Amino acid sequence: MHNEWSDAGQMFPGNDLMWLALVILGGTLTAALIALVVVLARLQEAERKISEKESNHESILDRLQENEYRLRTIIESEPECVKLQAEDGTVLEINPAGLRLVDANQPADIIGRKIYTVVAPEYIDIYRENMRRVFAGEAMVYEFRAITLKNRIAWMETHAAPLRDARGNIYALLGITRDITEHKQSEEQARRHQTELARVARLSTMGEMATGIAHELNQPLSAIANFARGCIRRLRSGDMSPEDLAEPLEEVCEQAERAGEILRHVRDFVRKSELQLRPVDVNQIVRSVVKFTDHEARQHRTMVRLHLGADLPKVQADSIMIEQVICNLVRNACEAMVEADSPRREVSIHTRGFGNDEVEIEIGDTGPGIDGTVIDQVFDQFFTTKPDGVGMGLSISRSIVESHGGRVRAESGGSGGTVVRFTLKTGGQPERNRERADSIHS
Amino acid sequence: MNEPTVFIVDDDQAVARSLRWLIESVRLKVETFSSAQAFIDGYDAGKPGCLVLDVRMPGMSGLDLQERLAAQRIHVPIIFITGHGDVQMAVRAVQAGAFDFVEKPFNDQDLLDRIQKAIALDADQRGKEALRVQLRSLFAGLTPREREVLDLVVEGLSNKAIANSLGLSAKTVEVHRAKVMDKMQARSVSDLVKLSIQNQAG
Repeated sequence: MHNEWSDAGQMFPGNDLMWLALVILGGTLTAALIALVVVLARLQEAERKISEKESNHESILDRLQENEYRLRTIIESEPECVKLQAEDGTVLEINPAGLRLVDANQPADIIGRKIYTVVAPEYIDIYRENMRRVFAGEAMVYEFRAITLKNRIAWMETHAAPLRDARGNIYALLGITRDITEHKQSEEQARRHQTELARVARLSTMGEMATGIAHELNQPLSAIANFARGCIRRLRSGDMSPEDLAEPLEEVCEQAERAGEILRHVRDFVRKSELQLRPVDVNQIVRSVVKFTDHEARQHRTMVRLHLGADLPKVQADSIMIEQVICNLVRNACEAMVEADSPRREVSIHTRGFGNDEVEIEIGDTGPGIDGTVIDQVFDQFFTTKPDGVGMGLSISRSIVESHGGRVRAESGGSGGTVVRFTLKTGGQPERNRERADSIHS
Repeated sequence: MNEPTVFIVDDDQAVARSLRWLIESVRLKVETFSSAQAFIDGYDAGKPGCLVLDVRMPGMSGLDLQERLAAQRIHVPIIFITGHGDVQMAVRAVQAGAFDFVEKPFNDQDLLDRIQKAIALDADQRGKEALRVQLRSLFAGLTPREREVLDLVVEGLSNKAIANSLGLSAKTVEVHRAKVMDKMQARSVSDLVKLSIQNQAG
C-alpha cells in the first residue's frame, strides 16, 4: 500500500506540491466560508435587534401620541376654562370652554395676547403679583373681576399651578378658571341682607328704647309741672294758705326723684346690655370685614394681607361693634393711602395673642403715616386729616374698644405708614398663641 | 243743674293726683280712676262734665274705652292725653269722635281751656238732649186726633180747611186746637211750628 502511495508519489513528483496547495487552499476557503457564515449570522442578529428596537420605538411613539390625544380630548371637552400662560401673561393655549369664558370667537382672539386684556383694571396689579408667585413655584387660588372681549363684566376664580419642563424649570402657569359671578352676587346679597338686618335690629332697639325712656320720663315731668302749676294758680288767686303747699311740694320732690331713678336705670341698662358680649373668633370677624371692604380696597388698588394668629382664644365681644371698628380702621387706611397717592398700597391685618388674656388686632398701612405731633389726637372727637372727614370714626372706634375693656393706640409704622393696634379681652382660658401667615387675601 | 265733674282716667297715680291738683285750682270737681275698667264700673252717665283720658294704659287703652262708650251711646267729651310720638294715635281718636287731645308735656292753661270748652260742649249737648226728651214727652201727651190737627195747623191750614179735611166741625177743630196749644205750652202757631221742627230733627 505504501508502495502504491510511494509509487504514485514517484509517478507524480510534481503533484505533491499541487496537493499541498490544494489542501491549503481548501482549508483557507473553508475557514473563510465559516467566517462568512458567522458574520452573516451576526449581521442578521444585529438586523433583527435593530428592527426589534425600531418597532419598540414606534409603539412608544404611538403610545405617546395616544396619551397626548387623550389629554387633549379631556382638556378640549373640559367644561371649565383651562389655559397656559407665559410669565409675561401671554396666553399660550386655551381650551374651547376658555374661549367661551372670555367671549372669544376663535383661538386667535386671545392666544398670543396678554391675559390682562380681560382683567379689570383695578385687579391688574394683584393679578401680576399672583402670577409672580405662581412662577416662583406657588400653587394658588385667586379671584378677580374680568372684563371679557365683549365687555361683559364677570367674577372669575382661578386655580393656578406652575408648569415645569423636564429640567424642572417653570415655563408656564396652568390655570383653571371658572365664572363665579352668580355665586359672588348671591354671597354679596346675603351679606348685605345680613348687615342690613343687624343694623335695622340695632336701630329699632335703640328707637324703641328711646321712645320708652321718653314716655317714662314724661310721666314724672308732667306730674311735677301739674303740681307746680296748681300751686302757682292757687297762690295767685290767694286761694291757699302756706301750709297747703307742703303736700303738693312733697309730691314734686317725689316725682323729681322718680325721674332720677329712671335715668339711673337707663344708665345701668346702657352700661350692661348695649354690648351683646359673646365669645367670638377675632379671625372670623377680620375675614368677614375684609370680605365686605374687599371691593372698595380693590377700587383703591389696595392689597389687604391677613396674618391671622392660629389657635387664638375667643374674645368677649359684640361682633357687630368690632366689625365696625375694623371696618373703620381699614377704610381709614385705604383713604389715607389714596389721599397721599401712595405708590404701594397695602393694608396688613395681624391678629395675635397679647398677654395672658387678650388678643391684639393690628391694622397697618403703607400710607404716609401720622405726624408725631398729632398722633395722640387721632382718637379725639372731630379730629380729622381728611378734607371731607367729620372726625368721628376713630373716636367711635375708641369708645367701642374701651367699652369692651380694651385699649387702642396708633403709631407710625417702622416702614412708614400707620399702625393701629387694639386689644380685646378673652375672658376665658388663655390658649397657646403661635403666629403664622395664615393666608393672603387678594 | 248738676255741677260739672272732670273725670280723670290714668294708670299713673302720681299723674292722676297732679291733674286733680291742677284742675281743682280752677274750682272744678274732679274724680280720678286708675283704669278704664274702674271708670266703666264707677261712672254715672248722668253727671255732666268731661273725661281726661290717657291714651296709653295697660289693659283697656284709652282708645278701647272711647269705643266702649260710643257703643253705649255715652257722648261725654273726651280729651286725650298722649305721650311723645303718639300723635298718630291721637289723630285716630279725634277721627273716632274725641273732643280734643293734648300732648305731654302740656301747657296747663291749654289743658284747662280745653277742659272748659269740653264742659261747655257737654252742657250744650245735655241741654239739647233734655229738650229732646221734653219735646218727646209733650208730643206723647197728645191724642191721635190732636196730633192730626197739630200736623195740619203746622202745614198752615185754616180751621175750616182742617175741619173739611178731617170731616169734623169747625167748632170741634177749634177745641182740639186749643187743647194742643195748651198741652204743647205754645203761645202761638209759630211756637208750634218750631217745636214740631225740633221734634222732627231730634
